[in-house]
Amino acid sequence: MIDTQVLASAQRLGSRALSWLHAAHRDGLGRIPDNTLIDFGDADNAYKPLGEVALATSLVLRDGVSGPADSRAARELLDGCWAQLREGDLLYERQLHHFTMTDPLETYGHFARAGYRHPPLEELLDSLSRLRASDAEEIRANRRLGVANARRVVGLDHRPDWEALARGTWLGARPEPWAVNWMTGYDITHTVFHLTDWGARPEGLPGPMRDYVRDWLPVWLDVWVEVGQWDLVAELLVVDACFGEPTTGRQGWDALAAVQHEDGLLPRDSDPVDVDGDRERVFLDHQHTAVVAVVAGDVTLARALRATAGE
Amino acid sequence: MPFAETPLRDEYAAAVERVARLTLDALRDGAPAAPLAQEPVATAPRPLLAAVRVLGADLFAPRLLAGAGPDGPTAALLAEARRVLPAPLAPSAEAARVVEWQDWAAGQLLARTPYGSAVPWPPVLPGPEEVGWRAWSVRMAQLSGLALPGLDGPVHEGARAHALELARGTVRSLLRHDLTTAARLVRWVAWTGAEGLAPRLEVGPVLERIRLAGDGSARTGLGLAVARRLSERSGGPGGSGGDRRPEGDGRSEGDGRRAA
Repeated sequence: MIDTQVLASAQRLGSRALSWLHAAHRDGLGRIPDNTLIDFGDADNAYKPLGEVALATSLVLRDGVSGPADSRAARELLDGCWAQLREGDLLYERQLHHFTMTDPLETYGHFARAGYRHPPLEELLDSLSRLRASDAEEIRANRRLGVANARRVVGLDHRPDWEALARGTWLGARPEPWAVNWMTGYDITHTVFHLTDWGARPEGLPGPMRDYVRDWLPVWLDVWVEVGQWDLVAELLVVDACFGEPTTGRQGWDALAAVQHEDGLLPRDSDPVDVDGDRERVFLDHQHTAVVAVVAGDVTLARALRATAGE
Repeated sequence: MPFAETPLRDEYAAAVERVARLTLDALRDGAPAAPLAQEPVATAPRPLLAAVRVLGADLFAPRLLAGAGPDGPTAALLAEARRVLPAPLAPSAEAARVVEWQDWAAGQLLARTPYGSAVPWPPVLPGPEEVGWRAWSVRMAQLSGLALPGLDGPVHEGARAHALELARGTVRSLLRHDLTTAARLVRWVAWTGAEGLAPRLEVGPVLERIRLAGDGSARTGLGLAVARRLSERSGGPGGSGGDRRPEGDGRSEGDGRRAA
C-alpha cells in the first residue's frame, strides 16, 4: 500500500530542492570558472558537484515522473553542467592523462544516462576497461560498484562479478546492525544505489542484503533523524525506494519537510544555516543534500508508479 | 529537596546493587539458589525491602532458570516488601500500567508460594501497531523483568508476535548509546529465541558489547546474565545458537546465508 502522503511529501521535497539547485546554477554558483585550470591530480576535484547534479537530473529525465517544469529545469541544469565540462572534453582529458582514475567514468555515466555522449571518451573507456590496472585501484568497495554501474550505464562491454563486488562491501558482510556509523551508513546507501542503478534494477540487490536492509533501515533512519543528519536521512529514503515496498513510512519525509527552507534549501545537518551570509558558501555546504533530495523524491515517485503499473 | 533526598536515594540504590549482586552470583552458580535466604524478614531494613520490591520477579531468576519454583524465604521477603512499600508513583497512566505488569509478575510468582494468591492480568498494553515500534520497545524494556521462564501472558504474546520490533528496539538503543535499555531489550530478544522463534538479532555480540561498554552495575549484569541463560536455551554457545551468524563461524559458506 503506497502512502499518498509520503508521495506528496516526496514530490514537494524533490521539486523544491531541484528549484533551489536550478536557481543557484542560473545565478552562476558552483561554476567552474572558464579561465581556471582544474588540478587534474585532485581526487576530490572541482567538477565532482557537477557530476552530482548530473546524477540527480539524469534520474529525473530517466524516470519521467516529474512535471513539465521540473523536467525542463533538469534539462537546463544538465545542459549547463555538460557545457561547463566542455561537452565532455574535460572528462576526456582527465581520463586520458590519469587513466586509472575512476571519477571521469563515474561522472560521464550520469551524462550518458541522459544521452550526452562523447565518442572519443567512450573509446578510451572501452580500452581502459580491458586493463587489469583499471580494476586494481584500491578504492572503497561500494565505489567499485559505482564504477561497475557507470560502465553498465555507458554501455561498455564489461562483465563484472556483481556478486563478488557486492560481497566485498560493508552491506555485503551484513555486520551487526548496531555497528553502523555515519561513514558506513553512507557505504550502505551507495551499495544499494549502485546495485539497483538508483532504483531501476530493484532485483540487483541480493536477497539476503535486501532482507537485512529491510530489517534495519527503520532503525538507522530513526537514529539519524534524531541527530538531524538530514543528508544521510535523505540518502536512506532513497534506499527505501530502490527495492520493494518502502518500510520507513512518513517519519523521514516529515522530518525533512520540516527543515526544508521556503526557497528549497535542505540543510545537510542540524547546524544553523547562515542564510544572510555568503551565498556561495551556503550553496557549497548544502548542494549535495539538495541533490540527494531530488533523487529521493524522484526514485520514490518512480517506484510508486512502477508498483501501480504492476498491480 | 534534592539535598535531603540524595543520601536516601544513594542508600536505596546501593541496596538494589547489593541484592542484584547476590542474585547475580546465585545465577552464575547455576544451582537453584535462594540468595536472600539469610535475610531476616521481620527485621529487614527499609532499603533492603525497597531493593527487593524494585527487583521483584528477578529475585527468583536463579531458580526459574534452573527449572525450580520460587523459594519460601525470598517469597516471604518480597511479600513483606510489597506489604510495607507502596507501588512507586507513576507519572502517567501508561507508566502506571507498566508498574501494574511488573507487580503482576512478582505476584504471579508469589502465588506459587504460601505468600501470595492468584493475581489477574492488568489491562493489556497497546502494541506496536498502535504506538509504533519505538515507543512499544521502550515499554517492553521497562517490562524486561517479565522475560523469565514460567511467566506468560499478553505481554509475552506481544513479544512473540513482534520479535523484529524487539530487535529493532535493541539496535536503536545501542546506536543511541542507551545501553541500559539495550540490555533490557536484548533480554526479550533472548527470550523469544528460547521460545523457539527464529532469531532476528545475534544476542551474544550484543551481550558482549554491553558487558564491555555498559555501566557495569550488578543490576545490568543480572539482566545480561538472564539474557545469556535464556539464549543458551535456544541451543547456542554464548547466546548465538541458531543465529544468522554463529560465533567463530562468521565466514562460513555452508550456512546458506551468502547465496544471492
